[in-house]
Amino acid sequence: MDKKLIINIGRQLGSGGRSIADILARHYGITVYDRKLIELAAKESGLSQEFFENADEKKSHGFFHSIFSARAAANALGGGDSFLSNDALFKVQSDIIRDLAERESCIFVGRCADYILREHPCCINLFFTADLQDRVARMAAEKGITAEQAEELIEKTDRRRADYYNYYSGQTWGAAENYDLCINTSHLGFEGTAKMLIEYIESRMGTLTPMEKGK
Amino acid sequence: MTEKKIPSELGTRPVGELLRQYALPSIIAMLAASLYNIVDSIFIGHGVDAMALSGLAVTFPLMNISTAFGAMVGMGSSTLISVKLGQKDYKIAQQILGNAVVMNIGMGVVFAIVSLLFLDPILFFFGASESSISYAREYMQIILVGNVITHMYFGFNALLRSMGHPKMAMRATILTVLVNTVLDPLFIFDTINLGFVQFDGAGWGIRGAAIATVLSQCISLAWQVRVMSDKRELIHFKRGIYRLKSYIVKEVLTIGLSPCLMNLASCFVVIFINRGLANYGGDYAVGAYGIVHKMTFIFVMIVMGFQQAMQPIAGYNYGAKAYDRVTKVLKITIALATGVTTLAFLIGEFAPGAVARIFTSDAQMIEMAVVGMRYNCLLFPIVGFQMVTGSFFQSIAQPGKSIFLSLSRQLLFLVPFIIIFPHFWGINGVWISLPASDFVSAIFSATLLGHFFKKHKM
Repeated sequence: MDKKLIINIGRQLGSGGRSIADILARHYGITVYDRKLIELAAKESGLSQEFFENADEKKSHGFFHSIFSARAAANALGGGDSFLSNDALFKVQSDIIRDLAERESCIFVGRCADYILREHPCCINLFFTADLQDRVARMAAEKGITAEQAEELIEKTDRRRADYYNYYSGQTWGAAENYDLCINTSHLGFEGTAKMLIEYIESRMGTLTPMEKGK
Repeated sequence: MTEKKIPSELGTRPVGELLRQYALPSIIAMLAASLYNIVDSIFIGHGVDAMALSGLAVTFPLMNISTAFGAMVGMGSSTLISVKLGQKDYKIAQQILGNAVVMNIGMGVVFAIVSLLFLDPILFFFGASESSISYAREYMQIILVGNVITHMYFGFNALLRSMGHPKMAMRATILTVLVNTVLDPLFIFDTINLGFVQFDGAGWGIRGAAIATVLSQCISLAWQVRVMSDKRELIHFKRGIYRLKSYIVKEVLTIGLSPCLMNLASCFVVIFINRGLANYGGDYAVGAYGIVHKMTFIFVMIVMGFQQAMQPIAGYNYGAKAYDRVTKVLKITIALATGVTTLAFLIGEFAPGAVARIFTSDAQMIEMAVVGMRYNCLLFPIVGFQMVTGSFFQSIAQPGKSIFLSLSRQLLFLVPFIIIFPHFWGINGVWISLPASDFVSAIFSATLLGHFFKKHKM
């Protein structure tokens, strides 16, 4: 089948992006790729998985990272691009994302997929937010941590995701212009939001029949 | 590197073979770059006089600072552009090119103006004396006027490499060296005697060397611009790419910051050495260090060529957990590097006079350079090991250790030694600092490497 459904999801931590992705995936019978991409990237490149895990959604050159770290040594002291640099790992991962999007309908969570697939004709790009207290409560429950810790975690993770996205895409993470829909999940809940999204997707793509996985 | 895919040949082909294939081009590039530095000194040493070599030596840190700022834009923009090319995002890649041009011009002009305004105090601070400053000033004035061209030339070379034209970048380097080598004598000497024919040179002295440097870069720059104006190139000059974008400026400067700082660090060390030598040994000692530094530089650059070749091989195989291959490539590289630095040791210990005479015919300076070279090369056989170990940690994504090791040889221990030792041993104290720092940093390298092997049970 020619027509594919590719959903790219950006999300604040604790906004339920992953859960909604799962609901949509069940509805359409397609796969969600988030951390699974790491496994594929490792297999594809022959490199061990831990390097991709360390690099996961991190950009290469943070400000302090670049003061204390060794891109410098590479250049000042004579060295090339490291094959283990985040830039190189991002390239591997983005090749895999493009490859998957070529082959099957699927959902990508994070990893700049909306930017990587910007030329792909069948993409629906979504961004999820939620009210801060909901996100804090959700993360605290999920990780078994205090509200303060959860808030700190949210702040840190979102800053890292934004740095990563902004660096690789040259766009601004969470800015409405990059997405087709930006939704606050606090109002309709996960199921409700997913229901609304299915309506939206169907009016965009025509009624899609459940597809076989991998098609 | 438009198509930078992690090549699996790194994980399968024999490492010795891989190393040979990767090392040759990077060694040639490194040698060309180091020759560039050396040619000027040789012609100035013979065409002007020994004091001019001292003047030239105190300009070295200032040139390094300029390089550091150039590297900030050059490395930043070329890294970012190769990320964008990897994503086939040609629109932003074009803008990075345009922004890099504007940033190079801006940075080059500001640096030139500030340095020209404060040139004398800067040069005095870097170790110049009343007798050597006129040479240093004459040389630097021209170099600084041409500063923008230098920045653009090096910046474009880095961009050419990341645009998938490493050969063109190398050709530009070689072209610059050749043109500089031809122009140097023509501009420096009063008369040129080739044996069978004799004719007049421009007789501009040390100024002539600076003019030759800038002019040779101009010619290469013109060629680079022509290559990059070609509309068939994916990335080329065109209208509308020059307006600065905050995203590009921010990322370029962030990426470029660390190469910039590393260059600055190495330049501070030279300032300390020059000042120490000027204090305890006078102008000729500074000039003598210039000679010693240039001689060892060639060998250091060859080792760096091997390092560059080792890095992708060690990095990939470490990532693939093929530790036996990692060990093997590391061992071969250390052996080769040790061979190179041992050669430097032999020359430095047994033929230092012959080397010094390449640069100058002044007896006093030769004598000082001989002493300096003997001290400097004393522990060179272990320097190869030390350098390779540092870059090894970098290739396996442990930048902290790599930075520590490279700074340890060139900064962390060297600077305190240079401050303390001369109190006891005078000028020899400055010279002793160099092998002493090699020794301490080699111990740290061995310790970290031993720890690493133990951890990975290799």
